[in-house]
Amino acid sequence: MEFLEQYSNYIVLAVTLITWAGIFFYMYSIDKKLKNIEEEK
Amino acid sequence: MDKILKYGLFIWLTAVICFAIIAPIPAVGSMGERARILYFHVPTAWVSTVAFIMALFYGAQYIRKRDILYDYKAASSAALGLIFAVLATVTGAIWAKFEWGAFWNWDPRQTSIFVLILVYGAYFALRSAVESEDQRAKLSSVYSILAGITVPFFVFIFPRIVDSLHPDPIVNSSGKVKMNTSMLLVFLSSLAGFTGLFVWMLNLRIRLSKLALKEDRA
Repeated sequence: MEFLEQYSNYIVLAVTLITWAGIFFYMYSIDKKLKNIEEEK
Repeated sequence: MDKILKYGLFIWLTAVICFAIIAPIPAVGSMGERARILYFHVPTAWVSTVAFIMALFYGAQYIRKRDILYDYKAASSAALGLIFAVLATVTGAIWAKFEWGAFWNWDPRQTSIFVLILVYGAYFALRSAVESEDQRAKLSSVYSILAGITVPFFVFIFPRIVDSLHPDPIVNSSGKVKMNTSMLLVFLSSLAGFTGLFVWMLNLRIRLSKLALKEDRA
């Protein structure tokens, strides 16, 4: 518990960064797929 | 160029997140560390307002030009606006739990964003209720114009004409930004980053709509 309290900012930072990276790479992969379909048509 | 912009946005928002969570902040009233929510809560509310105004613009463009693509653009913009409005409500409610003691207090700010979510929820209910594409586009474009007109009232006017517990907004009645320079820098960077993210999301949705339209017409 003490660990969580002491490093709470860093834990929030890690969770936020992982979430943001997930959103970014998901969007990036959709962008890539869309580009491929657009080029096909 | 396209790739550079996307990776640029990634680096930009990553830096914003790091500064927003780690950089020391001055004591803002009784809020302390909780004031950091400002870096995420305000940009989501800002993006939702921009998205709703853009839905109004695209709705008006459809009425003017009768091009179905504008209807798809309006719907895409409104959908993103709704998502960001929900995010602003959730982040606001989390903050309210620690600052006011309860997630929901029917504060004028909370009430106005709740009504705004209902207004745009009704927009999608309307869209799903009409089968004919032309009819749907006409009705929902008029609705998006009317709904867009209410946005400034619910976001900027209503919460200011009644007493609210909500902290003084960034654009306040005294016309001064009550924030120190380092906080303001992170805040403005976050605002720019979130706007960039919204533009990219909207671009993806519009391209998807274009492909669906092409498929329908083929």
